[in-house]
Amino acid sequence: MSKTINIIKEKRQVTEMAKQRRKTYADIRKQLLQALEEEGKTIPELATSTGLPIEDVTYYLMTMRKFGDVVTGSVDDDDAYFYYELKKK
Amino acid sequence: MPDTTETTNRFDALVIGGGIAGAEAALNLANMGFSVVIVEKDLSLGGKMIHLSKVFPTLDCSACITTPKISETARHPNIKIFTYSEVHDIKKLGENRFTAQIHKKPRYVKEDECTGCEACEKVCPVIVEDQFQFDLVGRKVAYIPFSIANPRVAAIDIENCILCGACEKACLAEAIDFTQEMEIIPIEIKAVVVATGYHLIDPVKLPNYGYSKFKNVVTAMQMERQLVPTRPFNTVLRPKDGKMPENIAYVLCAGSRDETVGNPICSQICCMYSIKQAQLIMGALPMADVTIYYLHIRAFGKGFNEFYLQAKSMGVDFVKGKVAKITEKENGNLIVRYEDVYKGKVKETEHDLVVLANGILANDGISEMFDGVKLETDPFHYVKQIDELANPTRTSIPGVFVAGAASGPMDIPDSILSAGAASSETASYIRRLS
Repeated sequence: MSKTINIIKEKRQVTEMAKQRRKTYADIRKQLLQALEEEGKTIPELATSTGLPIEDVTYYLMTMRKFGDVVTGSVDDDDAYFYYELKKK
Repeated sequence: MPDTTETTNRFDALVIGGGIAGAEAALNLANMGFSVVIVEKDLSLGGKMIHLSKVFPTLDCSACITTPKISETARHPNIKIFTYSEVHDIKKLGENRFTAQIHKKPRYVKEDECTGCEACEKVCPVIVEDQFQFDLVGRKVAYIPFSIANPRVAAIDIENCILCGACEKACLAEAIDFTQEMEIIPIEIKAVVVATGYHLIDPVKLPNYGYSKFKNVVTAMQMERQLVPTRPFNTVLRPKDGKMPENIAYVLCAGSRDETVGNPICSQICCMYSIKQAQLIMGALPMADVTIYYLHIRAFGKGFNEFYLQAKSMGVDFVKGKVAKITEKENGNLIVRYEDVYKGKVKETEHDLVVLANGILANDGISEMFDGVKLETDPFHYVKQIDELANPTRTSIPGVFVAGAASGPMDIPDSILSAGAASSETASYIRRLS
């Protein structure tokens, strides 16, 4: 059966903003997954190791948590930040 | 049962809005044997209430109250529901009937085919802010609105879609349909119930509080989402850096009782939802201190004052003072500058998270739905109650009734009471016609 996506492609243009959103998510997700490969990290540790703004780390990491890429681990010694780990697949 | 002709669908009543008031009114009418059509602008029924954690002052689970009612509404044989739709051109024809048009927007998913399996969501590569989590996390462009959405049907956010077609490939039910277009459905009804609710004040309009500039200034709805079981984070955390807050401040009357933002009236719910959240925070974060900056605590309802005293006894610090300004420190903490009314001094206190108890406004555009007849509104743009004391659901148009917060700020029990009254008045009106 032919896909309806081909019909809408003839009518609509993809916006630059949408393309940029896809790229941003893919890039940041890759960086966060790599940073968590070795061991679990807190959000400030992830911001330091990736160089990303800390609010971006929080937003995308929590989004990845929502979609099952990462899970919440234990809390640090100061009871301030949680460690986040890759979900075992 | 809905009576369908070749060109027009006939119902006894049109209910505009599928929140708790609209559902209550529709369900009452349907249970009396009337045919009802509900038109809801969002993708799911449930309005604001379906997103709340618990209700005040009983701390009952909000979703546990909302979802059975919404489910009953959705399954009722006398009720037809249009989600992601708007009502236009409501015209009164003679004394006994109205006509209107329902504009059903395309969700690019066949509602009767979608199984809600989330396969489209899993493969979608684009992330945008999740409006159902009040932007605290992202959602996919192909998405199920939220876990307890009704209908639990996916939608494609076409404005942000990159047209990759991954969702269509992944959908085993073949429910994705990019050929969908806006449908215009003419209806004929005998009466209308306006249950359009309210909207929250955009705190960006309060620049001295720094919302959007300072990530650790959040709205009450953002805190509400952090307190529900389907929360965006694993517990209450600061959106800036994921730190567990230890010292949380509430700023009441953020955008209500404030002429400078064009909303001089009390929102009626902010005091109590803040007190409720303060108690829930103390359960979620037992070590946290909570301070509520207030002008007056308006605990006017049944059990409200006891609820306020309970929060005090739990250790919530109530400070009578108008917050003038919030500034941010380098570590993300916030300095709240306020006038301590009892001590007559301007003070500054540091908190690590600030919640704005942002007030409510009337939903715009209700009057514009009507054509040729004028639905009058009050000075604050809520639907005008023509006979507020003797018949508070009557509007300026015979046959059009108002339910819930469309007529003014009110809490959930009052909204449900109002919807009950509106459905009774609507039933009497329809019976008188025949």
